[in-house]
Amino acid sequence: MRLSLDKVELEIARLWEEEARRSRATRVELMTLVALVSESHLLDRARDVVQRVARAYPLRTVLASWTDSDRPAITAEVALHRPSPEGAACGDAISVEATGSAREWLPENAERLALPDLPMCVWWVGDLPDYDRLFDRMARAADLVVVNSEEMDLRDLEKLSTVSARVRHTCAFSDLAWIRLRTMQELVARFFDDAAGRECVRSLERVTIEFSPRGGEKDVASTQAGLLFGWMANALSMRAEGVQWKRGPTWGEATLGKVVARFVHHPRTDVPPGSILRVSIECDGARFDIERQDDPRVLRWSRETPGAPVSPQTIGVDIAEEAGLLVRCLERPRRDFLFENSLHLGSRIVRPIAPRLSSLPRPL
Amino acid sequence: MTTDNPFRVGLETERIPDACVFVIFGASGDLTRRKLVPALYNLAASRLLPPGMSIVGFALTETTEEQFRQSMRDAVGQFSRRKPIDEAVWGDFVSRLHYVSGRFEEPASYTRLREKLEFLDKTNGTRGNRIYYLAIPPSVFRTVNDNLAAAGMVAEEGGRYARVVIEKPFGRDLASAEALNTDLHKVLQEKQIFRIDHYLGKETVQNIVALRFGNAIFEPLWNRNHIDHVQITAAEDIGVEGRGKFYEEAGASRDIVQNHLLQLLMVTAMEPPVAFTADEVRDEKVKVLRALKPIRGDDVKRLTVRGQYGPGNFAGQPVPGYRQEPNVSERSTVETFVAMRLEMDNWRFAGVPIYVRAGKRLAKRCTEISVHFKNVPHALLTQGAPGPGADGSRIEPDVLAIRIQPDEGITLRFAAKVPGPSMVLRPVTMDFRYGSAFGGSGPEAYERLILDALLGDPTLFARADEVTAAWRLMTPILQEWEREHLADLPIYPAGTWGPPAAFELIERDGRAWRRL
Repeated sequence: MRLSLDKVELEIARLWEEEARRSRATRVELMTLVALVSESHLLDRARDVVQRVARAYPLRTVLASWTDSDRPAITAEVALHRPSPEGAACGDAISVEATGSAREWLPENAERLALPDLPMCVWWVGDLPDYDRLFDRMARAADLVVVNSEEMDLRDLEKLSTVSARVRHTCAFSDLAWIRLRTMQELVARFFDDAAGRECVRSLERVTIEFSPRGGEKDVASTQAGLLFGWMANALSMRAEGVQWKRGPTWGEATLGKVVARFVHHPRTDVPPGSILRVSIECDGARFDIERQDDPRVLRWSRETPGAPVSPQTIGVDIAEEAGLLVRCLERPRRDFLFENSLHLGSRIVRPIAPRLSSLPRPL
Repeated sequence: MTTDNPFRVGLETERIPDACVFVIFGASGDLTRRKLVPALYNLAASRLLPPGMSIVGFALTETTEEQFRQSMRDAVGQFSRRKPIDEAVWGDFVSRLHYVSGRFEEPASYTRLREKLEFLDKTNGTRGNRIYYLAIPPSVFRTVNDNLAAAGMVAEEGGRYARVVIEKPFGRDLASAEALNTDLHKVLQEKQIFRIDHYLGKETVQNIVALRFGNAIFEPLWNRNHIDHVQITAAEDIGVEGRGKFYEEAGASRDIVQNHLLQLLMVTAMEPPVAFTADEVRDEKVKVLRALKPIRGDDVKRLTVRGQYGPGNFAGQPVPGYRQEPNVSERSTVETFVAMRLEMDNWRFAGVPIYVRAGKRLAKRCTEISVHFKNVPHALLTQGAPGPGADGSRIEPDVLAIRIQPDEGITLRFAAKVPGPSMVLRPVTMDFRYGSAFGGSGPEAYERLILDALLGDPTLFARADEVTAAWRLMTPILQEWEREHLADLPIYPAGTWGPPAAFELIERDGRAWRRL
């Protein structure tokens, strides 16, 4: 049943009263998650993701979508999230539909529906337009804005970097593709935890990042590969100025000073698009490798450093779904300077091989 | 320890342990199967074990490495919180598992063990770093430590570390605890000794620190001006569960009061440390023990209660009394229940009684700390103030209850007006439940504590002076009980809340145990 927005809180209160009689569930909500569904074909996927998130992290979700119409209006439907049809309620589920120009009213109404005195996270579902007034207005209201660059082209790294700089005084900004990289970052970092590894860091010569491209992708690096190398370059205080690129049909090679970074396509259907398949690092006689095995959930980690043997490891990793990545984002709704810096540097490194933005977005 | 790695800056895991060999003495025992290896497996699944780290089981049992690995797989399958076994994780974990058979008292066994460890250093890059986990009876602690030292296996030289983790009991009275510390200190420095009390690894216990020192609203009230009294309960509904032999030696005082219960008390009553670092935290904790008024002589009878469970019921089914349990003497006078009234001589808590109780076969399983605040100074409003249904009694005071297990959480009880025309008040509660707020199962206590031992962080481990201070409180009580030579202890029926004297202990102060 569709409701006018002023009836939403009453209806939610009524549902919780019913729930109290039914299951004696404790009402706990730690945040409001507003999912802005930019394209109608993404609505079902977004609904599925917010339901999964609510099962892992008690919150209120507001799933907002819009359709064209001459008549501007916003209406809502209300339900409670449940881990299973018989399970106790674990959050409020509000679906909001805006028609016509009422899309412009979404920011103030999302704020109206947000739980008082708790953080609000805005997840932009789908590709991010070069500039969208709604996105910027939501960013003003939110504590955390999340996008997923796995759905974007390499050129979008520059756009994200610009957005990140634009919103940094109003909210935290995160990217699900970045969250997915955490495992790979952790495994790269552990190459250099001991003295023998650390000695190699400064003599780093070559990095190879192999990735599985999105269907039809022509870029020689994925956004994840660009972010990963941006993170490594940031950690090593490298500079993007003077980067030289060579490229072939399925590879690209960037030279930054004495370091060569090679990006290689290797299509695989059993991993999410853009996923990293292999990272190899070579330094002055030492070699460090992380390689995804035939089972995509298994990585082989190996290190060859003269005089400091370490036995190779096979490591089981989760291939997190979008909901799992989003939960990890929500657990730390604060600015991630490492992400911002890595994004900024990564976008500048790949800029020569990615189409430039046609125009600069307007300021927030 | 990980430092100066530019790739660690800003990551969630800013430090991981250096590679080491983790040696378990008593590898064929129950603790290894139920807790240690499942915890290590879970750390591996969380990718928190360093590359190259190896685990070596050492025990008397003659078994092959393959058999040991299979037995540990069964243990992980049965006792790990992650089920089923993740083959990708296990595939790597199993390659870390090794076994050496030997006798604790035989020097040649240590030579064999050392050779194995040195081999692993060469192949896995563990560089001489060692953790020795003594999952063995305290009676052989000294033998093992002396032999390790004689074999040159605990020396920390050339940047390598050697740490020894020991399980309670750390002695059975003050004299034996001091003797144990002396023995340990002959071959180890205090910083090498990690005395494990798994209560401190529990998330909820650590959350007491977060609650008190991470919020501004509680600490101003956390003193004698606002707190009437504190209750700490560690109640189990099960009996000794086949541990009769152990329990006959220990009793509730040594099994739970001297360690777990006092740890809870320390965390509840300590002053804010200047930093959340090992020595600062433990300095504050030990001050709590030093501030507790000793209970001696006649005070023992007045301020302590002990009891033993007799036959009764558990969840509606008949259960035997303690003396009917296997490996328990028919005339045993070992206590399965203890209650005490403690007081602290310090600025913050002077005059605030702290009632503690612990026991087996009580009415339900529950470990909880409850802080009972003073009543309002002036009875302006009463519970059921004038009006329909009023009973004219005073409002029940506010209570902050911290539930350690099960159903971990925090509850605040306060008074609220009952809707209607009259000013009628009633106690209501605000509940916070870990399970609801954070979902899933967090790491188990052993995972956290093993990781801390690997990292060399002793904050959540007991220090020598902490152990002796706890025994300094308990020993006079135990001695007085021994002097009493009771032919029979007060018996409480299984499934109840202990002997009547436990109720009298608190009721004569005009208070009552909180209903749990």
